[in-house]
Amino acid sequence: MDKHAMDVDTVETLAGVVRLLRQAAVLAWAGADRAGAGSAGQLFALGVDLAADQARHLVPDGTNVDGPVPVGDEPAGLLRSAELLLRRLAPIAAREAVDDLRAIVADLVWEANTGVGA
Amino acid sequence: MSAREGRTVAELLDDSDGLAREALLDMSAARALGMVRGWPQLMHSAADLCAVLPVDPTDSAGADPIALLAAMGRAIGRSLAAGHWPGRGPRDEAWEQIASNLVQARRLLQQKPVASEPVSTDGQIDPTAPNSQILHVLYVAAHAATVALTEYQRDLQHRLEIGTRRRQPLVERPTVLEVESAGGMIARFDAIEQLAAGALAARRLNPADDPGIGRARPAMRLEAALAAWEIQAHRTLANQPDPADLVRVARVQALIATTTVVVSEAAARRGEIDTGVIDRLTPALENAQLAWSRSARRWAELTTPASRTDPALVEAAGQLRAAIRAAVATQTSWATPDEIAGRIDLPATVMTLHRSLVDGVELAYVVRDIAADHPGLAAPARVIAMRTQGEAEVAIEQGETRFEGVRWVTPRQIADNQVIPLPEPARRGLVNAATDVAAATNQAVAAAAHLAPTKQSPRVGADGTRRVGRAATDREIPVHQPNRGGRPR
Repeated sequence: MDKHAMDVDTVETLAGVVRLLRQAAVLAWAGADRAGAGSAGQLFALGVDLAADQARHLVPDGTNVDGPVPVGDEPAGLLRSAELLLRRLAPIAAREAVDDLRAIVADLVWEANTGVGA
Repeated sequence: MSAREGRTVAELLDDSDGLAREALLDMSAARALGMVRGWPQLMHSAADLCAVLPVDPTDSAGADPIALLAAMGRAIGRSLAAGHWPGRGPRDEAWEQIASNLVQARRLLQQKPVASEPVSTDGQIDPTAPNSQILHVLYVAAHAATVALTEYQRDLQHRLEIGTRRRQPLVERPTVLEVESAGGMIARFDAIEQLAAGALAARRLNPADDPGIGRARPAMRLEAALAAWEIQAHRTLANQPDPADLVRVARVQALIATTTVVVSEAAARRGEIDTGVIDRLTPALENAQLAWSRSARRWAELTTPASRTDPALVEAAGQLRAAIRAAVATQTSWATPDEIAGRIDLPATVMTLHRSLVDGVELAYVVRDIAADHPGLAAPARVIAMRTQGEAEVAIEQGETRFEGVRWVTPRQIADNQVIPLPEPARRGLVNAATDVAAATNQAVAAAAHLAPTKQSPRVGADGTRRVGRAATDREIPVHQPNRGGRPR
C-alpha cells in the first residue's frame, strides 16, 4: 500500500475516520463494561476497535491523528459519520483497503442499529 | 552427558521419554529451579525437531500445539533473561540431555528422508508418531517440573514461616515474593502441561481420516482461530508491543472467557456436561473476564493518538471474532443453547475453549513481565501523574518508603502532556492488574478441570486456596514404556 500517494485532504479525512471509530469504540466498551460480565456487547465493541485499528493503518506514519474528540454519545451515530467520510474519499492508492474498511464499518452500523450495539 | 552415537530417532525419543519419567519419579524440589532454567532450551529443541517432521493430519489448520508450546517456552526464556525468578543458574542435566537427544534426532532426520528412518523401536513406520511422542515427552517433563516446583514452593513457605516465627534476619529466610514467584511459575508449567495433555488427547480422539463435517466445521473454525490468535498474541507480545497491543490482547482474552461461559452453559443445558461444574465454572470465568477487562482499561490509559496495533494481531483478532460470532452469537445477543448445539459440537468446543483458557494463564504472566520490564513503556504525563500518585500512595501505605516525597512528573511535562517513560509505581499498578488476571484465570482453569480431557482434579479448594503437592498418581499419564518395542503410544 502506497500511503505516500495520498493527498493532504485524504490523509485528514482518514485521520477523522480514526478519531470517529476510536470514540465509537470507547462508547461501545463503556456500554459493554456497564452491562457487566458476559455482555454480548463485547463482540460489537471489539469489532469497532478492530475497525479503528484498520483505519489507523491506512494513515501514513508521521501523520498527526490527534484532534478534537468527536461529539456524540451513541456508537451508531459515530459509525455512520465514519462510513460517510469513507464514502466521500477520493480514489486513492489504498483503495482495496479503504473498500474493505467501508464494508466493515457498514456492517458495524447495521449491528449498532439492530443488534447488540443498539 | 552427551548423546551416544549410533542411536535411531526412535531410540533418542524413547530415551527422552524415559528421562522425563525418571524426573517425575524423582519428584525432587532440588531440581525445580534447574528444570525451569532448562525448559526454554528443551522446548526450543522440541520445536526444531517438529519443524522437520511431517505435519500431523489431526492438527486443524493453524492449531499446531507445538507452535503454541514453543511460544510459551520462549516467554519463559525471556522472563529468565530479564532476571525474573528463578534467575540465572545451572540447568537441569536431564533436561539438557533431552534437548541434546532432540537436536540429534533432528540431525538424523535432516540427513535421511523420514520414511527411511526408523521412528519406532520395532521398525514400523508412522511419520506422524514422533509428533505425538514429542508431545508426550513435553507433557511428562512439564508435569515433573510442576511437581518439583510445588515441592519447592512448599519448602519455601515452610522456611518463611519458621524464619518469621524465630525472627531470623531477612537475608536468612525466603521472601514472600519468592513464594509468590514460585507459585506463578507453577501456574505457567501447569498451563504447559495441560496444553500438551490436551493436544495428546485430541490426537487420540480425532483420527486423521475423520475430517470435520457438519457441526464440526464451525467448531474447527473456532479452534483454528483460537490457535492462530494464541500464537499471534505471543508473537506480538514478544516483539516490543505497543500499549494498544496489550489492550487488544486483554479485550480478546475477556471475550474468550465470556464465550467459554456461553458454550459451557449451553453444553450443561443440553446435558452434555455436568451442571455442578457450571455452578463453579461460571463465576470463575466471569471473574477472569472482568479481570482482563480491568487490565484492558489500565493499558488503554497508556495509549496515545499515535498508537498502532500490530496488523497481524488485528487480523487474528478479526478472524477469532468472526468465528465466535458464527458459533455462538445471533444478531441481537448470544445464541440459545439449542441454536449453539445446532452449529457446533458442544463437548469438543468446550474442550477447545478450556485449552485456550489454559493459555490465558501464560499470557497473563507474559503481560505481567511486560509491565515489569518493557523499557519502552511510556504514556502521556497527565495520566502518569494521576496513576503514579495513586499507586505510590498505596505502596507507601504498604510500607514502601522509597516512594515518599518523590516527584514523578514535572509541571512542565504535565502542562505539555508529554509522553514520558512509565515510573515504577505506575508499573506496579499494571503488574498488580496482570497478577490479578493470572490468579482469576487460574481459578477458572481449576474450576474447568473436570471439563478437560485429562479429567484432572480441581487445583483450588473450596476455600479458594490452591491445592498443591499432588501425588504423581493423581494424574493420568498415558503409558509409554521406553525401549519395550511396539509403536509409540
